[in-house]
Amino acid sequence: MAAAKQEIGKRIAVQVSRQTRNDEWSTLLVRVGKERDRSAFEQLFAHFAPLIKGFQLSRGGQGTAIEAADELVQDVMFKVWLKSASFDPSRASASTWIFTIMRNCRIDALRKDQRQPDTESGLDVDDIWDDSQDQQPLVFLQQARNQQSVKDGLASLPPEQSHIIEKAYVEGKSHSEISEELGLPLGTVKSRVRLALKKLQSTLVR
Amino acid sequence: MIHHHPDNNMLLEYASGSLNRAHSLVVSAHLQLCNACAAQLKLLNGIGGVLLDTAPSKTDEPRQQSQAFSRLMDRISAAEEAPRDSEAAPVAEPASTSVPGAARPRSASDPIFNHLPPVVDKLLQHNDKLKWQRLSKGLKEALLKTGQQHHQVSFHRIAPGNKVAEHGHRGKEITMVLYGSFSDADGVYTKGDFLVREPGEIHRPTATQDEECLCLSVVEAPVALTGLVGKLINPFLSIKPQ
Repeated sequence: MAAAKQEIGKRIAVQVSRQTRNDEWSTLLVRVGKERDRSAFEQLFAHFAPLIKGFQLSRGGQGTAIEAADELVQDVMFKVWLKSASFDPSRASASTWIFTIMRNCRIDALRKDQRQPDTESGLDVDDIWDDSQDQQPLVFLQQARNQQSVKDGLASLPPEQSHIIEKAYVEGKSHSEISEELGLPLGTVKSRVRLALKKLQSTLVR
Repeated sequence: MIHHHPDNNMLLEYASGSLNRAHSLVVSAHLQLCNACAAQLKLLNGIGGVLLDTAPSKTDEPRQQSQAFSRLMDRISAAEEAPRDSEAAPVAEPASTSVPGAARPRSASDPIFNHLPPVVDKLLQHNDKLKWQRLSKGLKEALLKTGQQHHQVSFHRIAPGNKVAEHGHRGKEITMVLYGSFSDADGVYTKGDFLVREPGEIHRPTATQDEECLCLSVVEAPVALTGLVGKLINPFLSIKPQ
């Protein structure tokens, strides 16, 4: 019994230490939000700018220019500064929060490319992809553990499943675009996504 | 209690930003009413966070990086010095500043428009003059401007107890109940319920006896007819003669 407890204690300690990095980014982000701390922001920039750029450039095959990736970094980090006061570490990790900002910037950039009129509806991207409604905070440790579970879970998915998940998130492709590109029936794409999610969900702490 | 939800596939497309704008609008309205789907979205956004975290890091030369950072700080200073500037204003303001039921003289007296999800409320504010068109007995429709051409977004209102004529759809249709409830052969749908009808499925919705029903719906626009929208009476719906 005591040994089992010790074992659990050890496991939690490992998870906590793995999480300290993430914890660090969240703390910096809170400092930017509360104190408009420029040096904290510079550290965030030094960490996240290369990741945003790498994420965008790994879209591959779409002729993503370096300049466009640099522009995306500027747009995302600009919004990170402006919105940082609304960042709540109990609702999302720093990287998840920055991902949602990046996603919205990319949707916006795509619209500009296609020259679709945006003025008519009065709805901004941030109205439709609005994460401020999230009213379900988790305790930080739980939040952090879930993030780690998703990371481990993604790494252990069969390649045909993780490939599709990456195409959706990284390349921004819909299920039917993925189905066309890979020459797979739409039903197959859908069921691979569902299987992957089932697996990821089973690892979460509720 | 919400019983009908967007499936995991659609939620993942929404979270990854790959779902089209019109469908994303209805998913967003549903998420604002549904805690279960909001919790699921947390996981789906978390996947994006992990993929960002594990992206192949592309570090610039130190000189380039510091140039990029000063460019960013210049932009931030400029935005903060001129807070009314068009670039800064919409971002600095939280997306949900619109107070539900805020000044809307036309519809303020109509209880059907109370307590709308914020995203629908904002859409309504920008479509202040709703033009209701009678489609059939007890069924009215008002088209909404959403700034995109591939889908038609509209409100449908069904009078209490009214049976809509049996109809099919030429394209995929997504409907969300905003007020009241309706039923069809498959079940009863109440506020927040989210339904997907594939092309060709035929159904006959009936509003409940005691109150009106308001729905938000999105239908794929038939390509050949887009230019005529507004002139034709609802080219999206094929109502069978009774």
